[in-house]
Amino acid sequence: MRGGIARKTILLITLFVLAIIWGVLSGSVSMTAGELVRAENRQILNLRLARTFLAILAGGGLAVLGATLQALLRNPLAEPYLLGTSNGAGLGAVIAVILGLSSVLLPVAAFIGTLVSIVLVYFISKHGNKLSAHSLILAGVIVSIAFSGLMIFLISICGDEAFNGVLWWLWGSLQVYDFRLLLIVSVIVFAGVGVIFIFSQDLNAISLGEEEAIHLGINTEFLKVLLFLITSLVTGSLVCICGIIGFVGLVIPHMARIVVGPNHRSLLPASWLAGAVFMIFCDVLSRTLFSPMEIPIGVMTAVTGAPVFIALLKRRERVS
Amino acid sequence: MKRILCLSALIVFAAAVFTPKLDAKAMRIVSLAPSTTEILFALGLDEEIVGVSQFCDYPSKALLKSRVGTMSEPNIELISALKPDIVFCTGLEQAPVVAKMKRLNMNVFVSDPASIAELLGSIRQMGDITGRGKEAAALTERMLDEIESVQADVRLVPYTKRPKVFFEIWHNPLMTVGPGSIIDDLITIAGGINIAHDLGSQYGNFSPEELIRRNPDYIFMGYMYKTRATPLFENRMGWKDVSAVRNNRIYNDIDPDILLRPGPRIIEALKEVHARLYER
Amino acid sequence: MNGLPIFKMVDVNGGYLKTPVIKGISLEINSGDFVGIIGPNGSGKSTLLRIMSRVLDPWSGSIVFDGCRIDSISIKGFCRKVAFVSQDISGYLPFTALEAALMGRIPHLRRLNTETKKDIAIAEGALHLTGALEFKDKRMDELSAGEQQRVIIAKALAQQPALLFLDEPTSHLDIGHQIQVMDLLKKLNGRSGLTIVMVLHDLNLASEYCRNIILLNEGKVFKEGKPEDVLTYQNIESVYNTVVVVRNNPISSKPYVMAVPGDSTCRNK
Repeated sequence: MRGGIARKTILLITLFVLAIIWGVLSGSVSMTAGELVRAENRQILNLRLARTFLAILAGGGLAVLGATLQALLRNPLAEPYLLGTSNGAGLGAVIAVILGLSSVLLPVAAFIGTLVSIVLVYFISKHGNKLSAHSLILAGVIVSIAFSGLMIFLISICGDEAFNGVLWWLWGSLQVYDFRLLLIVSVIVFAGVGVIFIFSQDLNAISLGEEEAIHLGINTEFLKVLLFLITSLVTGSLVCICGIIGFVGLVIPHMARIVVGPNHRSLLPASWLAGAVFMIFCDVLSRTLFSPMEIPIGVMTAVTGAPVFIALLKRRERVS
Repeated sequence: MKRILCLSALIVFAAAVFTPKLDAKAMRIVSLAPSTTEILFALGLDEEIVGVSQFCDYPSKALLKSRVGTMSEPNIELISALKPDIVFCTGLEQAPVVAKMKRLNMNVFVSDPASIAELLGSIRQMGDITGRGKEAAALTERMLDEIESVQADVRLVPYTKRPKVFFEIWHNPLMTVGPGSIIDDLITIAGGINIAHDLGSQYGNFSPEELIRRNPDYIFMGYMYKTRATPLFENRMGWKDVSAVRNNRIYNDIDPDILLRPGPRIIEALKEVHARLYER
Repeated sequence: MNGLPIFKMVDVNGGYLKTPVIKGISLEINSGDFVGIIGPNGSGKSTLLRIMSRVLDPWSGSIVFDGCRIDSISIKGFCRKVAFVSQDISGYLPFTALEAALMGRIPHLRRLNTETKKDIAIAEGALHLTGALEFKDKRMDELSAGEQQRVIIAKALAQQPALLFLDEPTSHLDIGHQIQVMDLLKKLNGRSGLTIVMVLHDLNLASEYCRNIILLNEGKVFKEGKPEDVLTYQNIESVYNTVVVVRNNPISSKPYVMAVPGDSTCRNK
């Protein structure tokens, strides 16, 4: 139908595989593939595999979530952190650090914060038994601002440790210490993204407008609640493990749309692949540019992504 | 004769006006950092200190002083209401505040030592400014004595046999200290080798991969004072075979307040670190 | 199923906030009808259409579609028989004409199934019917308003509906395209017995093409019946509050409503 989607998807898959290989072979410690697989370097290999896996999870996940919210809320500026879950997680983390909880419990506290923000946003935006895109956005912004205000207040009165305790959240971090946490988050992300993919057709319909979607037989109230819950839970769990990594959820879907078009059947897989490749790319740069110092991943995604996106936009303007 | 008198008067006048030396008796001091507060109290100043930051808690007399805000957000109104003759603070996050205060024509002294030697110099300067030159000299003498005894101990150990040290400021993102920071200097004087010696900045995120490669023998934590540290490191993916983890040489029992504050008590921290590195 | 009631509303009330916009409306639509709903701004035309197409839930009254209570039918099942051509097509702009037309197959597809060759054939057939097949691979935002409208009608036809709702399908079209669209609807109504219910602004288009007209005023049915019975100058004057002259169209003999400007001499009668 649309020119060469199959060809472009194969290209993306190839890029994806190459990125994984590159991600595992690169690092602040330079070694060849042969050296890497030796038993003495097993720990470094494991570290890189885990890191690359998290990059795929976060990059692909955030991109798919961004595409979903852009369709659901019919807003091109929608992105995963819009509905308040990220600040809920941050607040949970700050409180945990202030209370002196063991760092193993930090992600749990962050997730509880996420759940609180989901409940708040849901009840603030509900009107009768209907949920409107408009009120979801408003409620999300309100909850975000309120929670971030609380966070800043708590940090200011509690000093350095509280501040350090949220740096991973503020700038993002693809560091993996806890393998079990990685496993739990990956299950949530894969399940969530899988369900979203099943609803590709519904996403196509609701991107046309809510009334139009009803005209096409979509149960929009059910869809809105379902997608709100899934996107919030998946976003929340990603924030709990890697903090806020901006730019990916907002811009990668637009880039994918330029390449494969607006049909979510192809847009969602393309977003996943493009997001994963982009994240691995940024992660490798953050690990190797100023070794042994690491640049926070959130800084890398912003600095790398902006010029690429501007270039794509300019190209599109020239074509049309 | 008259000309000489006039000239002398002019010189004395100029000296009085342009020297940063202040009249010790009428002096009012505000200290915006726990480290400078400790130094000032150690110089024998007490009544002169009219305001401190929220986190200034040592010595205990500091708790009785009026609070003028946090380190990064000092309350300029409160500070100017106290009419200080001089305000002491550190560099880093207090830089914008320093600029603001200078615009209000306040006397500001910034103490930002990048090494223990610079710290001693800073203490002496602070002594000169507050008219406690003698006390400052005595304090720095005592500190120097302790430093030299540690150095004498360390000198006997060849460089290649010195333990590799990693100072963990925070775990996620993994943050440590680099050259140009006072802790890096402390580690070196104490007889260790900071594995982040090529970090490129005073503080920064360190690559966990690099840490595994460089295999530190000792890890000191600047946070989570006296909570159970080993479980924190046991479960870290990939850290199992790091020398410090395997031999359980992870220390979080040195009070961060003496480790992280560039003040008189850093000598205690130096001795504690040295004692652990060379287990005597 | 010709001539049998397909849609029946009894004493339906509905609205958005607290005040009712639709007050106690009862009407019947038979299979094969071509109905035009007219009325002044604020008379409740769009609201009525929203309630009939299940976008808005009524507050009271009963609505029966094809013999069943409307709230007992799943929305997907409903949309396999009922299609809607709306005015707001902004959501379609990034899609190609064929992709837009294929959206009409959604009620017939299970979630995980992609469109089969049969679905594509149906969509292309619908595009052919509306004269839009030639630009099937062009993006919607590259088409003119008239071409876009034809694609949206094709989308609705791809649903293979028994009943078609249209909300002012011709308001932003020039007269040539208006006639084109109305002629197409007339053909579909005549040839395949497609029941058509459309909200119209243009009284004369309604008169020409609709066999039944429902004139709404202030949320109630003011008059219902054939164009000759509804489009009288008395009815129009009392509902629209303006002076008109009604003659017969010389070609079709249907009533033709002519506006009378406010400063004309005959107004002062």
